[in-house]
Amino acid sequence: MNYMPGTASLIEDIDKKHLVLLRDGRTLIGYLRSIDQFANLVLHQTVERIHVGKKYGDIPRGIFVVRGENVVLLGEIDLEKESDTPLQQVSIEEILEEQRVEQQTKQEAERLKVQALKERGLSIPRADTLDEY
Amino acid sequence: MARCSQNLIDSQAVLEDYFLDNESLPVEEMVVGAVNPLGKMDCSEDSNLMEQGPGKPCGHQIPEKASRIHEEEDTKEEEEEEEEKEENELGDPAVLSAIHGAQRGHKGSPRLKAPSGLGISPVSLHFLCQTMDYLSPISFRSTFPSASSPARHFGPQLPSPDPSLFYSPPASWPPRFSLPSHRTQLHPQHQRILQKQQQEQQSGHKHQSPRVGKLWSQKPDPYAGLMNQREKDWVIKVQMVQLQSENPELDDYYYQEYYQKLERKQADEELFGRRGRMESPKLVTPYIQKAEDYESVVRIEGSLGQVAVSTCFGPRRAIDAVSHGSQEQDSAIYNQKLQVLYRIEKMFLQLLKLEENQKGMLAKPYFYELQRKQLEKIYQALRTGDQDNSEEAANGFLQVLSVRKGKVLVARLLLLLPQDQAVHLVLSITSHLPFLIRRDTADQALCMLFKPMGKCINLLAFSELLQGLQGLMVLQPGSQERPITVVLQNQFGISLLYSLLSHGEQLVSLNCSLKQHSSSDLAAWTDMVVLIAWEISHMSTASLAEPLVVPSNLLSLFCRYVDKQIVHQLEARMDYAPVATDLTCLGKLSCPPPTYQSVRAEVEEGKIH
Repeated sequence: MNYMPGTASLIEDIDKKHLVLLRDGRTLIGYLRSIDQFANLVLHQTVERIHVGKKYGDIPRGIFVVRGENVVLLGEIDLEKESDTPLQQVSIEEILEEQRVEQQTKQEAERLKVQALKERGLSIPRADTLDEY
Repeated sequence: MARCSQNLIDSQAVLEDYFLDNESLPVEEMVVGAVNPLGKMDCSEDSNLMEQGPGKPCGHQIPEKASRIHEEEDTKEEEEEEEEKEENELGDPAVLSAIHGAQRGHKGSPRLKAPSGLGISPVSLHFLCQTMDYLSPISFRSTFPSASSPARHFGPQLPSPDPSLFYSPPASWPPRFSLPSHRTQLHPQHQRILQKQQQEQQSGHKHQSPRVGKLWSQKPDPYAGLMNQREKDWVIKVQMVQLQSENPELDDYYYQEYYQKLERKQADEELFGRRGRMESPKLVTPYIQKAEDYESVVRIEGSLGQVAVSTCFGPRRAIDAVSHGSQEQDSAIYNQKLQVLYRIEKMFLQLLKLEENQKGMLAKPYFYELQRKQLEKIYQALRTGDQDNSEEAANGFLQVLSVRKGKVLVARLLLLLPQDQAVHLVLSITSHLPFLIRRDTADQALCMLFKPMGKCINLLAFSELLQGLQGLMVLQPGSQERPITVVLQNQFGISLLYSLLSHGEQLVSLNCSLKQHSSSDLAAWTDMVVLIAWEISHMSTASLAEPLVVPSNLLSLFCRYVDKQIVHQLEARMDYAPVATDLTCLGKLSCPPPTYQSVRAEVEEGKIH
């Protein structure tokens, strides 16, 4: 904003802690170190945060270089308010387990739904056969 | 102080990079150094230094001087650093002497001696100053010499910087330390939070020793500054280049409107006495010459395909699947169509420019004259195309109208044209209505012409009106039916017909003394009305199109000239309530009040649109 009023730029966000949501659904948290004109990001001390219900777990990942087109959104994290969350942090193993369980239940529900529809002669096209958007 | 030294090392690295890059450049005289203890740089002083310095090359001797390179940080950290710097400067006698030295050097002494033994070429400093030129106010920090010169080269290979690429400072540059809120519309909650934070920081800072550095919540970040100032500037430059435009009103309409609104609001606020009006900066995209002109698609002669070139400006462009070799033998029709489209585009651009000018400056007589000329040009382009023959001209006009965009063009143009020319166009349209209707079956876009034509029709003279109507009744050679049958089956056609009739009725009935119009005219009019009434009544209700507007004076018009049976049929087709006919009909030669009618017509129009 300093340089170009009326525009949005990532320049002021450099060296600040950010939360980045990727198109594949991953959530990364890291220090934004470098950008370019395509909004490719270099994240430092990155942590991948997995959320399941009220719990979350962090997997340290190191340095990430993210191609700009894969970013859905990103936002600065207020360091003071970072710990001020109702969510409960758990260990990596636990959160991965939780995630697996969640995936399983989802798949099960989906399967039942598809089954029920099939019985009635209907079908819903699967998401992976559709266009990404 | 880890952070500070980190920054210093970075800046040193920058300088060294540049120095290494530009060894071949002649070493200019002393320069820069805009050493400014108060943390504000006077850029003009810099340029003066450069100009006034005698051009004696001092090749081998690398003058030593204290220069301060400021790293562009975010606002909060900036403030802290500024204050830090100030402490530094005041505390360092070496630096102070350097300051004086530099200022004296400004008067023309060939070399500046500074205590710091930093090997910096004045050229690189020159460059840096130009770099920083637009970042006024800029503060410089002393770079302390370090034992070794770590050749830490961060990031990718940067393009060789060209000073001419950097632009002049923008029009109004606000002090950097203030809130972003007055520049951009932040959410009020966000604004309050930022304000509070800034206040806290400022108050917190006063109590703490500046040497400590940041607030307790922000530990010194050893990895900060990975992206140095040059790289940031480069990204910004690229983004700026993408934004530049010859016509910001066109390309960046919404931002311009927003900015004007903001300015107006601030002007209002100032009027109300609020002092200290914040000048909002405007995004001024300077003209930066693109480094190279590239064609994204290269065609080599004699080859079958195309080669896509990718540069940093844009990745590979999509290559057309169609080969361009064999276009010549295509039919003349295709070319003709292209010609028409091309004409439409040209006229459209002219029209847009005209409308923009109208929006911009209004009552000046000079501009009015200019506008008239521009309008004339467009009109001529529309009418004649490139032929003088009136038949060809009409043809050209009709071709334009056959395209959807051409219709839009004519619709917008009709609103601007002087009356005689507008009438001319309207009459051409009415006389070629069946042709246009046939050509419009795909687009169904003729109806957009209705409103502007309606406005024109209301200004028609009686004879002109007759001319228009007669065009519809002429029996086409080689066909049994009159054009009116086609017209009645088309929504636009029937609406146009109704509005023509309605206007005629108004003209006739308003001037109740029938001497106004010649008797032959009136006779023609009467014949026309009878004929049309006959045609309408003999067309099945199903095939009659539904008009956009049904003027209320039509039925009374028909009542006067045709017998009751036909009137009943007309009434059925024209969707009137039977009660109305009993009141108005039965041979009463009354002049219906024009005001009531016009109001009703408008209401109906309002309902429909």
